[in-house]
Amino acid sequence: MITQVANPILEIHDLTVSYDQSPVLWNVDLSLPPGQLIGVLGPNGAGKSTLIKSVMGLVPPTSGHILIFGKELNSVRSKISYVPQRESVDWNFPASVLDVVLMGTYGKLGLFKRPGKKEKELSMECLEKVGMQAFFNRQISELSGGQQQRVFIARALAQEADLYLMDEPFAGVDMATETAIFQLLKEMTQEGKTIVVVHHDIHSAMNYFDWLIMLNLHLVASGPKNEVATEELLRKTYGGKLNLLSKVSELIRQTDFNPLKS
Amino acid sequence: MMSFDPNAFLIISTASLIAISCGLLGVFMMLRKMSMTGDAISHAVLPGIVIGFFISGSQRGLEVIIGAGILGILATLMIDWFRKKAKVQLDASIGITFTLLFAIGIILINVLAYKVDLDQECVLYGEIAYLPIDLWITGSGMNLGPRITWLAVLNLILVLGFIVSLFKELSLTSFDEGFSLVIGLPAGAINLALMSMVSYTTVSSFEAVGAILVVALLVVPPATAFLWTKKLIPLIKITAGLGVIISIIGYYFAYWLDSSIAGMMVSVSGVIFLASAILKSKKPNFKFGTKIADKPFSI
Ligand SMILES: Nc1ncnc2c1ncn2[C@@H]1O[C@H](COP(=O)(O)OP(=O)(O)OP(=O)(O)O)[C@@H](O)[C@H]1O
Ligand SMILES: [Mg+2]
Repeated sequence: MITQVANPILEIHDLTVSYDQSPVLWNVDLSLPPGQLIGVLGPNGAGKSTLIKSVMGLVPPTSGHILIFGKELNSVRSKISYVPQRESVDWNFPASVLDVVLMGTYGKLGLFKRPGKKEKELSMECLEKVGMQAFFNRQISELSGGQQQRVFIARALAQEADLYLMDEPFAGVDMATETAIFQLLKEMTQEGKTIVVVHHDIHSAMNYFDWLIMLNLHLVASGPKNEVATEELLRKTYGGKLNLLSKVSELIRQTDFNPLKS
Repeated sequence: MMSFDPNAFLIISTASLIAISCGLLGVFMMLRKMSMTGDAISHAVLPGIVIGFFISGSQRGLEVIIGAGILGILATLMIDWFRKKAKVQLDASIGITFTLLFAIGIILINVLAYKVDLDQECVLYGEIAYLPIDLWITGSGMNLGPRITWLAVLNLILVLGFIVSLFKELSLTSFDEGFSLVIGLPAGAINLALMSMVSYTTVSSFEAVGAILVVALLVVPPATAFLWTKKLIPLIKITAGLGVIISIIGYYFAYWLDSSIAGMMVSVSGVIFLASAILKSKKPNFKFGTKIADKPFSI
């Protein structure tokens, strides 16, 4: 079930990506509407990170092409923001929380220029939005996993982009913080920003996202949440994972979850 | 009190300049987990030095520095290629690259022996003790002082200029290369620029401390400093300070035992590292219990 939109903010055409000759993403073809909170669902190894990385130009596609705001990636880099999976960096790096958030402003600064007062104020505001302002001077090696994740979200906010791609930004983040940040992301979409989030918790996914992408090597679904959040498509996405399946059906039995009733 | 010895002062200050240059670059090599790439580069520049020598007919020609620089970059590219394209592990690709290039250098020295009167001892181990008598005499016969000191000053100025102007790029690419690519900073070019600076610093210093002992100055002071601080700026400052301390102690120990100055500097840095590691591992953690509680927040 794939819904294509007119005037998409991101369009992916016939994308196939392989590592060492074996494809991990097959023929993904989708387009995303602007101003929405978009969730990417799928089991481990489904190719969610690979999808995000190929949009960001970090892995070369075997075939297919991607347009962002109708343009090639290189001409719109300053309008896209990225939260990588936390494990992608070594948190023993000698930097303070503020240093890392400041990195979000480097793209707009360009080569050689140093971040100044303006960039620091912006970074502090972004830290405040994720509730980490008290830690601005703390070394990142002294943070908990969830706090590190929040620093990464703040760094993405400091990019002041129009399209945000976040790879599991809530891994290890506590419920209260997750709710607050989802609220913040919602407000950002109301200002016209588009936010794509890889997310593992199906329950909260049903609560927050406007649009869902379901992935399992192939694209299973992409469309408005109300249309694609069906037991059948979720089964197709998570197929074979017995544990999950029973959990999914249990969730679907819950009335507040049933998308057809909302 | 010891009387002022101008030769000792010259040797110590030159050694300090070299140790600071190496340490500053070494900090970023360490943060990129590439300390051993510095090792590879310092060996791999040998064929470049020999070829440069062959072309210019002198150990001091600009060709020698250029040759070494090219070989340093070549070594970096080879290591990268083995790792990314041939999927060889990083340590294995480093081992293959530098032994191969170093061996080529040794064969070149033998083959070109009639033309290249290269002092292998000097290339590998350096001889900083002769520095005060190796003077830079201009064409018109003016004596400008010790040549190697001038090289070290120039080297440090360039290294400082490099790090100051690209500080934010160097730290970002060291921390999160993917992110720097995403925001359009040329991570590959910055990495190559850093490797070029390491190659250049290696050649510029090899007459004083030798191409092999240079590695110790790239690796040990930053590793020692990292035991003492977790902040980047203090890390850089402590590394530079260690360079000076190592030079002073190394010189006087070598003088006292009548041994190689460069060898003693490296031994001293090793001892300082060991002492730091022992001290740090025994230090009780007084911070325990004083952390600020992390509260969930609401907007
Ligand atoms: N660098 C790589 N080299 C080779 N194979 C890779 C590489 N990265 C990922 N893969 C493979 O590609 C597939 C998709 O990986 P990907 O990281 O995109 O999954 P994911 O959906 O993000 O999973 P997770 O939920 O665990 O983060 C996996 O089967 C994985 O083994
Ligand atoms: Mg992933």
